[in-house]
Amino acid sequence: MSKKTFPVVVALLLLSVLLAACGGSQASPAPAAGGQAEAPAAEAKPVTLRLLVHQNPPMVEYMQAFNEKFQAAHPNIKVDMAVVNASDLATATQTRLTANDVDLVDVFGFSNAVQPYMKNVDKPNWQQLIEAGLLADLSGQSFVGNYAPASNQDAGTYDGKIYQVNLGRVVYSGIYYNKSLFQANNVAAPTTWSELVAACETFKAADIPCMTAGGKDGWPIFVGAYGLIGSIYPDQAGLVEGLWTGNIKWNDAKSLEMWQKMKVYTQNMMEPEASGIAGDAAPGRFASGAVAMFAGGSWYASAIEAANPELDWGYMPFPGSDNAADNKYLFGKYDQGWAVAANSANKDAAMTYLSEFSDPANYQAFVNAVGFIPTQSSATLDTLIGKEVAPYLENFRVGYEQYWIAPKGAGEFANPWASYFKPFGTYDDATELANKVQADLQAGLDAAK
Amino acid sequence: MNYHFGRGFSRWIPYLLLLPGILLYFVIALGPSIATSIYSFTDATGLKGAPVNWVGLDNYREFLLLGQAAKNNLAVLGRTLIFSVLVSSIQFVLGLLFALVLNQRLWGRNVVRTLVFMPVILGAVIQGLIWSLFLYPLGGPAAKLLELVGLKSQFLGGSPMEAFLWVVVVQIWANLGVTMIIFLAGLQTIPSEYYEAASIDGASGWQAFKNVTWPLLTPSVNTNILLNVIGSLQAWQLFLVLIGYRAGTQVLGYLIYATGFGAAGSLTQSFRQGYAAAASIVLFILVLIIGMTIQTYLRRREERIMA
Repeated sequence: MSKKTFPVVVALLLLSVLLAACGGSQASPAPAAGGQAEAPAAEAKPVTLRLLVHQNPPMVEYMQAFNEKFQAAHPNIKVDMAVVNASDLATATQTRLTANDVDLVDVFGFSNAVQPYMKNVDKPNWQQLIEAGLLADLSGQSFVGNYAPASNQDAGTYDGKIYQVNLGRVVYSGIYYNKSLFQANNVAAPTTWSELVAACETFKAADIPCMTAGGKDGWPIFVGAYGLIGSIYPDQAGLVEGLWTGNIKWNDAKSLEMWQKMKVYTQNMMEPEASGIAGDAAPGRFASGAVAMFAGGSWYASAIEAANPELDWGYMPFPGSDNAADNKYLFGKYDQGWAVAANSANKDAAMTYLSEFSDPANYQAFVNAVGFIPTQSSATLDTLIGKEVAPYLENFRVGYEQYWIAPKGAGEFANPWASYFKPFGTYDDATELANKVQADLQAGLDAAK
Repeated sequence: MNYHFGRGFSRWIPYLLLLPGILLYFVIALGPSIATSIYSFTDATGLKGAPVNWVGLDNYREFLLLGQAAKNNLAVLGRTLIFSVLVSSIQFVLGLLFALVLNQRLWGRNVVRTLVFMPVILGAVIQGLIWSLFLYPLGGPAAKLLELVGLKSQFLGGSPMEAFLWVVVVQIWANLGVTMIIFLAGLQTIPSEYYEAASIDGASGWQAFKNVTWPLLTPSVNTNILLNVIGSLQAWQLFLVLIGYRAGTQVLGYLIYATGFGAAGSLTQSFRQGYAAAASIVLFILVLIIGMTIQTYLRRREERIMA
């Protein structure tokens, strides 16, 4: 090669490498011989079924076992399951659905729908996904019929079509309590606010931390206190409408009582170190037997049992009121569900997977492992947490945060969160905080006018 | 003129050779930046198939002017600047001190250099995990150390200010190695004869530093200041890993992430990439103004010293 032609060849080679690199990636496998790009029979050709789920140790453990079983029954289907933190699920769902490199996604029950009285708000992300045509319509699939019509309607339906089969409800406005410590200190499970205050004083006098939670993550603190909001405002959808229309204010007399109790909850009941405990470490702290109570959701039960199978514990609604009848509710939400990517090339395999997952025997095993309150009518929650919450399920209510959407322009304190109080936040005075929360909300409401 | 590539078609060879690099720069760096500035005028969600509407300056108006949220955003901007000033200045001073000490012929200096640099090779998640365990308030090493002197702290779970300051500490720890290495490289380019001459003239250690080391370190000083300032203005991963969403702790980088991707902590839980793009442009302008101002000052200073 001459000296003159060498640079030309090098330049052309570099250019061709660059153009090759910039070429579109082959997202889906090349069509099989004969030009059949989409073979309808999932069983016929090798398929890699890509799943995206959020981190929940007992659920992931169950899924791994189920996937093994499923692959053995369908040798042509390989399940590739990715696990991400719950807080990253929305991001991963968005990017992977957009890139069309996922077939089945774990989505939380549809919530926070825009109501007619709301102005200047954004649609929730599940609605954005549906409207972008990224979730498949599951209406008419036989496995959908295995789930209770009410759960399909409440947690998976949009615009008359079903986009999700929801796998279970959870409750989060309750408190785990250590029965042995209660017995040893002659304390009965409290059914009213005053009894709860007295119980904490007894434990503190005995040098036993009264209550713990995963305060480092912020939300576990206020989730536990939803019982306080619920005992005052049992109609949570009505509370959201009242806040939007101005009939309810976070600094009115009724709400002020809630803030005062939240201050007691965060500063007198909760152990100060709770602010440094991560959400997934809190069950271990309670399971150690060192703390009398743990404010948290039903999903923590299996982690507590795994950490200390010998621990004798119970679960009760957070008694936010001095009238025991006001404390009969358990608030919660529809948790994990399955949705199929609308543009998936492996839709048949995805439907086969969901069909087998939804088989009543498999679903029962899932519920037993994860501890969800079932959404299939034939399933029962035979675990300890199931027994503990069973008496309150007729008073199950979907919680406030499942309805709430903040107006644009609202400040960062426009929420009824106990974690705004010291030591988790910066506020010490209930009235000052109540006024700040209402002012932050009002700023958004005024901007929406 | 003796032109290396010859005449005729050969004269185009340099441009052809440059083309792949320029194209890569456009595709990977400049293209997304331009796209971000365009997106900032839309209601884009980032979802394939979702409509994208032109909203003009609405995103900027919302970010900078709408209600209490705009005031919170300005507070976030202020916090981002405070974070940058704290991190840049402390990291600069510590990096220089470590470099000066570890440039001496000391026993075990290579081990210490490695230890100081090691956090740089760890990802933000690992860095966050290490410090979360170290600062665990129930029996973690830091809590035990404080107990020895009768003190207690909630560390990352403490007041927002305390949590924020811990992120400053971790950010410095994570990047100190780079600052130190740049200073070390600068120190090793200073000829030893200058120090010998200073010593013969009777200069003290401080005088040698002030009149020999510091002026001749100017290129390293400039590089470190720019890298530290820009890096700290753009920081967000450690806030995500160490604190997550807490009122009074966010910096602009974290706010952009949470808003753009509907992550926990975003008030709306919606995908708002158009709005996040507008916030990114605000951050870009902030970095540009600060970066350009510092660079102009440093270039003049360097010209003055080197002259």
